[in-house]
Amino acid sequence: MSGVKDNEELRGPHNMKSDIEPGEQQLVSLVEVEDAELARKQGESRSQGQLVRRRFFNHKAAMISTVVLVFITLMAFTSIGFAGIPGWWGKSYMMSGTVINGGAPTMSLLPSWLGGSGLAIGEHPFGQDNTGKDYFALVMRGTQKSIIIAVTVGAVATVIGAIVGALAGYFRGWVDEVLMRMTDLFIVIPLLVLAAVLGQMAGSKLGGSIFALALVLGLLTWTGLARLVRGEILSLREREYVAAAQAMGSKTSRVIFKHLLPNTIGVIVVNATFAIAGAILLETSLSFLGFGVVAPESSLGLLISQYQNAFTNRPWLFWWPGMIIVAIALSVNFLGDGLRDAFDPRQTKKTRRRKKTEEGQA
Amino acid sequence: MSIASEQATKGGTALSFENLSVSFETEFADVHAVKGLSLEVYPGEVVALVGESGSGKSVTSTAAIGLLPPNAYITGKALVGGVNVVGMPESKLRKMRATDIAMVFQEPMTALNPVLTIERQLTESLELHGLAYGKDATARAIELLEMVGIPEPRKRIKQYPHQFSGGQRQRIVIAMAISCDPKVIIADEPTTALDVTVQAEILDLLRELKDKLNTGILLITHNMGVVADLADRVAVMFRGSLVETGTVDQVLNHPEHPYTQKLLASVPRLAVMDVTDTWVPEPADVVDPDRKLVLEARNLVLEYDMRGSKFRAVDDVSFELGRGEILGIVGESGSGKSTVAKAVLGLLPVASGVLAVQGTNLAALRPKAARAIRAKIGVIFQDPAASLNPRFPIGDCITEPMVVHKVGNRASRTKRAQELLDAVHLPRTVMNRYPHELSGGQRQRICIARALTLDPELLIADEPTSALDVSVQAAVLEMIQELQESYEFACLFVSHDLAVVDLLAHNVVVMKDGKSVEQGRVTDVLHSPQHDYTRRLLAAAPVPEPGEQAERREARRLLMAMENPDS
Amino acid sequence: MLKFILKRLGASIGILFAASLLLYVLVINSGDPLWDLRESIADNRDYLMQQRSDYMNLDMPWYQRYWTWLVGVGGCFALKCDLGTNIQGIEVSGILASAATSTLRLVVLATVLAAVIGIAIGVLTAIRQYSGLDYGVTFLTFLFFSLPVFWAAVMLKEYMAIGYNDWMKEPSFSTTQIIIVALLFGFLMQVFLAGTMRRRIITFAVSAAFVGVVIPYLLWLNFFRYPQLGPAAIVVLSLAVALSATAMSVGVRNKQVLYPALITVGLGLGIYYATFSLMSEPNTWILIIGGILAVLIPGAIGHFMGGRHRRIAASVSAVTGLVFAGLTVVDHIFRAWPGFLSLKPRPIGTIGSETPNFGGDFWEIFLDRGAQLLLPTILLAVISLASYSRYTRASMLEVGQQDYIRTARSKGLSERTVIFRHAFRNALIPIATIAAFDFAGLIGGAVITESVFGWKGMGDMFITGLKGIDPAPVMAFFLITGTAAVLFNMLADIFYALLDPRIRV
Repeated sequence: MSGVKDNEELRGPHNMKSDIEPGEQQLVSLVEVEDAELARKQGESRSQGQLVRRRFFNHKAAMISTVVLVFITLMAFTSIGFAGIPGWWGKSYMMSGTVINGGAPTMSLLPSWLGGSGLAIGEHPFGQDNTGKDYFALVMRGTQKSIIIAVTVGAVATVIGAIVGALAGYFRGWVDEVLMRMTDLFIVIPLLVLAAVLGQMAGSKLGGSIFALALVLGLLTWTGLARLVRGEILSLREREYVAAAQAMGSKTSRVIFKHLLPNTIGVIVVNATFAIAGAILLETSLSFLGFGVVAPESSLGLLISQYQNAFTNRPWLFWWPGMIIVAIALSVNFLGDGLRDAFDPRQTKKTRRRKKTEEGQA
Repeated sequence: MSIASEQATKGGTALSFENLSVSFETEFADVHAVKGLSLEVYPGEVVALVGESGSGKSVTSTAAIGLLPPNAYITGKALVGGVNVVGMPESKLRKMRATDIAMVFQEPMTALNPVLTIERQLTESLELHGLAYGKDATARAIELLEMVGIPEPRKRIKQYPHQFSGGQRQRIVIAMAISCDPKVIIADEPTTALDVTVQAEILDLLRELKDKLNTGILLITHNMGVVADLADRVAVMFRGSLVETGTVDQVLNHPEHPYTQKLLASVPRLAVMDVTDTWVPEPADVVDPDRKLVLEARNLVLEYDMRGSKFRAVDDVSFELGRGEILGIVGESGSGKSTVAKAVLGLLPVASGVLAVQGTNLAALRPKAARAIRAKIGVIFQDPAASLNPRFPIGDCITEPMVVHKVGNRASRTKRAQELLDAVHLPRTVMNRYPHELSGGQRQRICIARALTLDPELLIADEPTSALDVSVQAAVLEMIQELQESYEFACLFVSHDLAVVDLLAHNVVVMKDGKSVEQGRVTDVLHSPQHDYTRRLLAAAPVPEPGEQAERREARRLLMAMENPDS
Repeated sequence: MLKFILKRLGASIGILFAASLLLYVLVINSGDPLWDLRESIADNRDYLMQQRSDYMNLDMPWYQRYWTWLVGVGGCFALKCDLGTNIQGIEVSGILASAATSTLRLVVLATVLAAVIGIAIGVLTAIRQYSGLDYGVTFLTFLFFSLPVFWAAVMLKEYMAIGYNDWMKEPSFSTTQIIIVALLFGFLMQVFLAGTMRRRIITFAVSAAFVGVVIPYLLWLNFFRYPQLGPAAIVVLSLAVALSATAMSVGVRNKQVLYPALITVGLGLGIYYATFSLMSEPNTWILIIGGILAVLIPGAIGHFMGGRHRRIAASVSAVTGLVFAGLTVVDHIFRAWPGFLSLKPRPIGTIGSETPNFGGDFWEIFLDRGAQLLLPTILLAVISLASYSRYTRASMLEVGQQDYIRTARSKGLSERTVIFRHAFRNALIPIATIAAFDFAGLIGGAVITESVFGWKGMGDMFITGLKGIDPAPVMAFFLITGTAAVLFNMLADIFYALLDPRIRV
């Protein structure tokens, strides 16, 4: 029995048993410790949704993007009014006028001490076009329409994509086959090409309303989300709580809509945002090529297309709508990224500790 | 007995920890994983570091090889061959890996790179550490494969990991670990992912290698049988601290710390089996005339659809399960034992034969009637992390069967949930919490509560405790037994662990490759097995008592020798 | 493996067929091809309408028209393509050839560039997760994702091309410009090379100073109008490559690897003089064969001299040989530059895929094509690069958490070996599938880019065809891009099978 003595000596002054905190002295089984912890647990219990929300609100880039997005949307809808409700911006996008100072923008953000002319908005903050129309009003109208189209496309694509993806993942079989073939289709016909053909169709056969265009685009862009949801469902349906629900005698609809789809909400929400960003770009590209929104309707892409040749003389006619497209798409993308981090915290920051140890070593 | 002291006089340690502490910074708080641990491993000695989940045993070993994630904060010392590796620059530490300290991981299926040949993976550490190059390295690699018992190593070295079985892959990982003659090997749960018979082979291999190479082995495990089989000394960890160390005999047979005592008491033990004895059947019980059959299988055949072709997972299996009885189904992975449970649960159609619940054949049932019969069956699955919907509060999880079968109203459902929470010894306040706030054992108890919500006639338990820690397993098993006595349901208990089945079940079916090789009363089948396979299975399962395990090992060798007289 | 690829190819051809039917039906139903004539008040209106109907087979039912088209395409297998006539009665197969080459050149070049650079950036940002570089690149990739192609194209055209051309007339830098460029370069270098604060400061200072000295020197040489490299600079640069490649792989003290690389440089110098006149007026084949030899010969030298490091020696020498050959080409291009400038004073083109009626020697035509191709390629590559780098980063991070990476680390492999030998190949596996989608996206992007840069390419064919409800050119566009996509997809599949032994066996 000298081994024991030896070990005691080698172990030195550290008596391991004393390390357990006094209150836990009696608890010598894992079960008891866990139950004691559970009983001790105070305060609100947090659902998955609440945890996600908390993480999202801590995501700086996503929060900034949200603010930018809300700002642009509010500006677009309140400034020139919407659906008959008048807005606060006095000038109409239809009213021509005299072109002042070559139609240059009057807005200045550079303070005078930096060589600018101070913070001022002026008569025509975004300038005027060649017929003297107020460009701010025009751009706001285009923004409004582009946002409406993008959100509609996002919504249509998300609903179809989520349902088809769920069905394909759950039943496999022919739904899955159809989905996979649709996916293959987009490898041989580029999305833009198919969208252009259908966009032209929507323009000529469906009367050219922006909703018709949005619907057509939505009917085209759902496959990406469907594939992702399908993948997610395929792995979720192997989970034991799904097997338990089936074994309990739950109806298929209950299994899909109560157990499977709610657990793919992360994928769905994140990709809905990316779908919106994609839709903004797709719509503007189509309108630029002439297969999307057509006059008398308006959109940001159409504005750029209309004023394409004015670039050398009046670059602002080109700058403003482009900047707004980039601003919307960029903030929607960052928003989606923030949501993804919030839903799937596996790959998020671990930097704090690393910094601390680096300081410690230095 | 005093191996440690002998070697202490001879020379330095292969690996030692001095007052090692590790803490992690996580999303919401700091976690202290290891709290001031001191331990030493001498050359040629196996030290088992045992503990349950959260005890910090894996963190300790990972600290020694310097592979902890960057959010770990380490203090104290971890000495490999006398050199402290804590805070050592990465470039220096790299040179020590493989040559001074090597590691064998738990999951052989994922521990090898799928896109590189075995040759490349074996030779690269030899070349890196300058031990052999080119053809010499390949020759050495073949030698290593031969040493760990891979047949035809010359041919198979060109293959990729997916062309090897799980046990073979673990042998390759071991070959990799010993390739540069390390002073110490850390084996982190090296047999946990393997079947018992494969586990016994890997343990034999490790024992053989340690004698041959005079390496120190730090064996991380939760399995007391493995400890008894392989270890010289044992260190027991509990919540980040070492609670007891000593020789394997001291700790396993005369534990001092109450934690160790309780832990050992929780380990289910197999009764002694004498494989050389001839079987003397006990007189059969008189069949109880009142016995009501709850589940019955006759010539049951179950098939999986594998891209058009059928794979027969269960072939011609028959059994009976009466009210108030527990029927164990045991077997190794791929034996089809869980497939039977799946079929009873209606997750898999019956290909042919009869599977009847209370006399109604499931195969002939229309969907609506089949759904009604589901109310009579409760289920507990293996993985507590996946068996509760993460978006449902606990209350909803428990009452879900009532919602599905439209039983009761809101108030009566809540009342039922409370009753069941009492029955599984959990506080009623848990109702509004979410699964992620509970531990694995607690979640498994919630699953039991859910299974019992509708007072089932039949409980299907598919490996309900194999993902749980030993003490938690004991509590869950006790609970199932207790509830079974009061609710009197019949239970189909699927498990790979013979000891658990021995403890719990009345009757047992032993399955192999989809066929039933032996079945009958537990006392007959598990204590005096008749079929070779059952014997091999029993002989391979280690027991947590070193003396007895040594005998069993010997018995197993005899048995293998009897079966393969040529080798 | 062959079975796997044939199966995929068969499925792709089926899809190609179904897609052609779908596209045909959609196009002919997207409007009325006679609308402009219906509103016309010309005298010969009816004649014109009849003529157009004949060109486009408008009197046939849709399935017959599709069948006629399909039979014509089927003729391609007998080397007698009949892709129908467009709205003006011109044979589509005639216009197709020139349109297809310029578009495919653009798309293939952009794809290769985007994939190579994007994957490299993805790996780098994954290794340096949460560094300044990572955040910077993440922001840029999101910006590129959010950039409307047409808008960015106009920007590039107006600012980069025209700005550069104006500057090229009389290249100069003011002192402030030099300082800004030097500081910016220094900053970027320290971001890329990273390291401790001390190392970053040194990197910054050295590279900023370097640029600060080099730019005035180059201006003094009038380098921007009369660039020169010369054999001396080629040798110095190649030696630098040989040394650093050796240092990165096994260390410069390893003679088995260093010597073949040095011999390669010496040999290269000899060949430079021997082939000087040939390279002054080469053709495409000479360049291709020369490039292959520049890899094979040094590779063989490395293999035979490398001893037990023969694999590393061969690759180091091959890289050195390739760099030497590349620099030789650059040298000849530099020599042709003044002549090119006199032929074309505004070098960067903004309209068309080649300058009309441009006559010159091989290198001058090469420069002309390159200059016309430059902006569209940059644009397409940048936009598609964003997705490659994003996916590679995510894939690398995912692979980095796998058990076998931990195994590799536990063997004591250096981080570089872990990343390139163990992580990288596994991370590429999912990228191979994304590449197929990305290629389709690039073709879509090319349609827009061509429209902005006024190329008479496939994009133009598609747009005018679709606007005129004219199926023949649209289908010709589809035939080329669809086939290209299928071929590219097959390449991706082969690559996939090469990467992943689990589907090979």
